[in-house]
Parts: sequence; structure tokens; C-alpha cells
Amino acid sequence: MTTLLTVEDLRVTFPTRQGPSEVVRGVGFTLGRERLGIVGESGSGKSQTGRAILGLTPPPGKATAKVLDFDGIDLRAASAATWRRLRGARMSMVMQDPKFSLNPVMTIGKQLMEALKFGAGETRAQARARALAMLEAVQIRDPERVFRAYPHELSGGMGQRAMIAMMLVTEPDLLIADEPTSALDVTVQVEVLRILDRLVRERGMGLIFISHDLRLVSSFCDRVLVMYAGRVVEELKAADLGKAQHPYTRGLMNCLPKIEGGVRPLPTLERDAAWAR
Amino acid sequence: MGEVMLSVEALDVTFRRGGDTVRAVRGVGFDVARGESFGIVGESGSGKSTVLRAICGLAPTSGGTIRLKGQPLPDPRPATFFRAVQMVFQDPYASLHPRHTVDRVLSEPLAIHGFDRREERIEGALRDVGLGPSFRFRYPHQLSGGQRQRVAVARALILEPEVLLLDEPTSALDASIQAEVLNLLDRLRAERGLTYVMVSHDLAVVAHMCDRLIVMQHGAAVEELTRAALSAHRAATDYTKKLLSASEGFTPA
Ligand SMILES: Nc1ncnc2c1ncn2[C@@H]1O[C@H](COP(=O)(O)OP(=O)(O)OP(=O)(O)O)[C@@H](O)[C@H]1O
Ligand SMILES: Nc1ncnc2c1ncn2[C@@H]1O[C@H](COP(=O)(O)OP(=O)(O)OP(=O)(O)O)[C@@H](O)[C@H]1O
Ligand SMILES: [Mg+2]
Ligand SMILES: [Mg+2]
Repeated sequence: MTTLLTVEDLRVTFPTRQGPSEVVRGVGFTLGRERLGIVGESGSGKSQTGRAILGLTPPPGKATAKVLDFDGIDLRAASAATWRRLRGARMSMVMQDPKFSLNPVMTIGKQLMEALKFGAGETRAQARARALAMLEAVQIRDPERVFRAYPHELSGGMGQRAMIAMMLVTEPDLLIADEPTSALDVTVQVEVLRILDRLVRERGMGLIFISHDLRLVSSFCDRVLVMYAGRVVEELKAADLGKAQHPYTRGLMNCLPKIEGGVRPLPTLERDAAWAR
Repeated sequence: MGEVMLSVEALDVTFRRGGDTVRAVRGVGFDVARGESFGIVGESGSGKSTVLRAICGLAPTSGGTIRLKGQPLPDPRPATFFRAVQMVFQDPYASLHPRHTVDRVLSEPLAIHGFDRREERIEGALRDVGLGPSFRFRYPHQLSGGQRQRVAVARALILEPEVLLLDEPTSALDASIQAEVLNLLDRLRAERGLTYVMVSHDLAVVAHMCDRLIVMQHGAAVEELTRAALSAHRAATDYTKKLLSASEGFTPA
């Protein structure tokens, strides 16, 4: 498999009251044209890993890496112009808080049209049709209304889908999706995953799928990285998530409630200080 | 059913802007007994959050009656309402003030409602949701998604309300923190006799937490089920059956 992204020794540090706090601590992996899942505890550094790859570490945070290579381009040395060429067009990220990343004072339609950057032989009407088709593809019931709506007029899951539509209209080579389906009911979730799946299989997109939904990750992804306290503590084939070795990963599987009923209270994790070392 | 704590009858909510009219909620009704936990599941955009917001007086209600302990609720809702009923919003980013520290988020409601022992309560609330004291003086943007969600839960709990309206309270949390928050909610309900209305798209979470639930689609409640029926996959409508089978995970088309 051709490698699309190589990450070696990625670190992200924030200054805090208690001194510098390293929230990503030496993460490394490679990504081909596949579905790579990242799971892990809340606060373990999943989102910050995704943002650092796209050069979007919020200041005053700092990201460093030994290698950060996207399709032969050294991202560590990328100029503002290089980033403008890459972001949106070739690499995109669906952020965890869709309403926060959508512009609150611009209609969804206007934002979609901007993302499309139509031109190059496409009329406005054609671009509009393409945007509406994408909203329909993510299972929006009334795409015309949503096209005219502002972000606050949408439900949580509709905002999330508008955001996904926006990231997908440009057909990027690398998509980092941070909890992209966490606000969606399961039937819509399946449809959105089918779209992502098609882009990986048919267009050879590389997908980093950040999620805390273990059932979903094990059924949807090819490989999974498990993060704990800023590090990758385990890497496995997604289908083998049930056979995980690390006590954190194994503990996670036990904490899930079941539709068929189970124990009460739910099992929780006894965290071991050694896991963070 | 014991004493009815919250009752929603024939609720209609309609949003209007320009030529667009959205009938977000159409004739939804349910009763929740004191100490009961009631679930709402359903399609994205079907009106679940709007039902909770309407209970709080935050949606353009065009019909129906909402009662708390038998009394129809006045508009706007009085301060005593928010002492008794607290809501955890779906979108923790939007519901936490960006320039307020966690400390301020938690201390302000205590001050407004005249609570004593504030210091102790703030520390306790943070501990309850699994956040250490080092988080107390952070701003929302310095927190991960799940940490923000937990601050929102702590803010609702700190006022010791009788009724909690929970909109996807654990959808941003990993399995281990989710288990801790669900256990906390379960324990509080048992200890203090709290009443919950909980929206979630995770059927397993609802099966675990709720005694009864409704399934919403396109603004209407299409089915009401007991926990036993849900656990046994005994659904009457096609939509609920579809939800149950999609809950098994992803299957390539
Ligand atoms: N601006 C900041 N200053 C200090 N610490 C920060 C800042 N932003 C994030 N952090 C910390 O970095 C750690 C990693 O955050 P990140 O958002 O990557 O977590 P995550 O794994 O995505 O968690 P979740 O599943 O809850 O979204 C967290 O502990 C968070 O509190
Ligand atoms: N302020 C508003 N103005 C106009 N329409 C609105 C507004 N708020 C909600 N709506 C519409 O009402 C409908 C129901 O929204 P609601 O947020 O209640 O859905 P939901 O069931 O909570 O969905 P989700 O699971 O995606 O959060 C949607 O079609 C939404 O676009
Ligand atoms: Mg995150
Ligand atoms: Mg909602």
C-alpha cells in the first residue's frame, strides 16, 4: 500500500499555570489509502493529534515532530502558501464541534459554495446543484431549507452533517474526521459511513477516524490506534479490538452498556499510573 | 404511575423565518413520574432537543401544555423553575461561555440561587464528573470535547435540581468516562429521587438508563416502549426496528 502520511515523534505542548503540559507525547504512525481509527480516553490527545497534522495547533500551543510527511511534502516546513494549497483541497478535517467550526453568521449554502470554490467551467447553478446533492447524500431531509438556514437553525446532527458535506465536496486525499458521527442516530450514521467508505475504496482517500465508539470503529476501520495520556499504547487490526492486550483497551470494552441489559453499576476502569509512563 | 412530576401534552413547536416554516414538534405527549428516568430517541432532526428546550421555555411553542407537579408552567419561566429543573445542552461548546473559567461557570449559579458552602460544592461537583482540581481555572477552549461535556454536567448537578433534562449527555465521552457519568447519574437518582428526561441516539445508553422511552421521527412520537421491550428488540414500527438493527455496527452495503 502506498503511504500517504508519515508521522514520527509528534509532540504538542501547551503552557499552563502548572508549567508546560505535553498533551501529545511522541505519537507515530503511517497512513495509507485506508481507514485508520483512533480511540482513547477523553483528554488523551486525539483531537490535538489531528489538528497538529493539519498545522492547526491553537496558540500558544506548539507542535513538533521528527517526521511529518504528506505525500512527499514536509509539513513541518510548509509555508503559508503551501498550507493554503493543501488545506481544504487535499487535506481536510471535520472538527469535533461542528457548530463551532461553522460560521454562525453565514448560511449553510453560502459556506458550501465557498468550499466548492466553483469556477473552472462550472456555473453557479451547477455548483449549487452539487452542494444540494451533497446535503442529500448525508441524509438531510430538506436540503433546500438547510441550504438557506443558519447554523443555529439546525439540530446537532444536521450541523454535523453540514460540516461533513463541506469537507467532502472538495474530495480531499486525506480526511481527518474527529467524532464525525457522534451526534447522529444510528441509521443516518450508517449512511454517512458508507460515503466515507466509498471515498476510501473508490477514490483512494486516506481516512483518520477519531471516535470513542468502539463498536463502530471495530466494524468500520481497518486498523486502530489506542491512545492513552498522549501516547499510542496499542495498535491493532480493527476486527481484533476484542482481543486487545493493553489493560486500558480491554477495560474500555467492558464499560459499554448493552441494549439487552447488563450489570449495574457499569464496570469502570481502575487506571494504573504506569499506563501514562 | 406514582406522582406525575413532569407532563407534556400535545406539544407543538413551529419555527418560522421568511418563507420557511418548520414544524419541529407535532403533538408530542408523555408523563414522567417522580424518580423515573424517561428516554427520547429518534432520527436526527426529529425534534428531540426542541422538546427539551420547550420544557425550559426556550422554543416557540405553538400548542399544548407542559406541567410541572401538575401546575401549567408560566412564560417566561420563573427563577424557581430553573432551581427545580436543569438542562444539559447537546452542544457543550455553545453552552459554556468562552471567557468564563470552569470555576466561574460553576460558582455563578450557586451565587444566583444563594447557595452556601460554595467552595466545597465546586470541588465536589468536579470530582463527581472525574475532573481534578487542576481543571478549575481553565477556559473552555483549554479543554477536550469530553472534558467540556463533563463541566456542563457538573454545572447542572451543582444546583441539586429535582428534574434533569439531559441532551446527549455522554455522546462526546469515551466508554470509560461514559460509564462513570452514567453510574453517577444512576446513583444520584437512587439517592435523591431525581427525575430524568434523557435524549440519546445510543440505544444501549437509553436501555441502561431509562425505564420507558419514546421514539421520534419527523416531529412526532411514533412509538412508546418499556425498557423490557427495547432490550428484547420488541419494536412495533419499522423505524424502531431499523434503529435496533443499525445499532449492531457498520455493515458494508
Ligand atoms: N489550550 C490548551 N491549554 C492547555 N491544555 C489543553 C489546551 N487544549 C487542550 N488541552 C488539553 O490537551 C489534552 C488533549 O486534548 P484533546 O482535545 O486532544 O483530547 P481528546 O483525546 O480529543 O479528548 P475528547 O475525547 O474528550 O475529545 C486534554 O487534556 C486537554 O485538557
Ligand atoms: N432556531 C431554529 N430555527 C429554525 N429551525 C430550527 C431551529 N431550531 C431547530 N430547528 C429545526 O427543528 C428541527 C428539529 O430540531 P432538533 O434540534 O429538535 O432535532 P433533534 O431531534 O434534537 O436532532 P439531533 O439528533 O440531530 O440533535 C430541525 O429540522 C431543525 O432544523
Ligand atoms: Mg477530542
Ligand atoms: Mg438534538
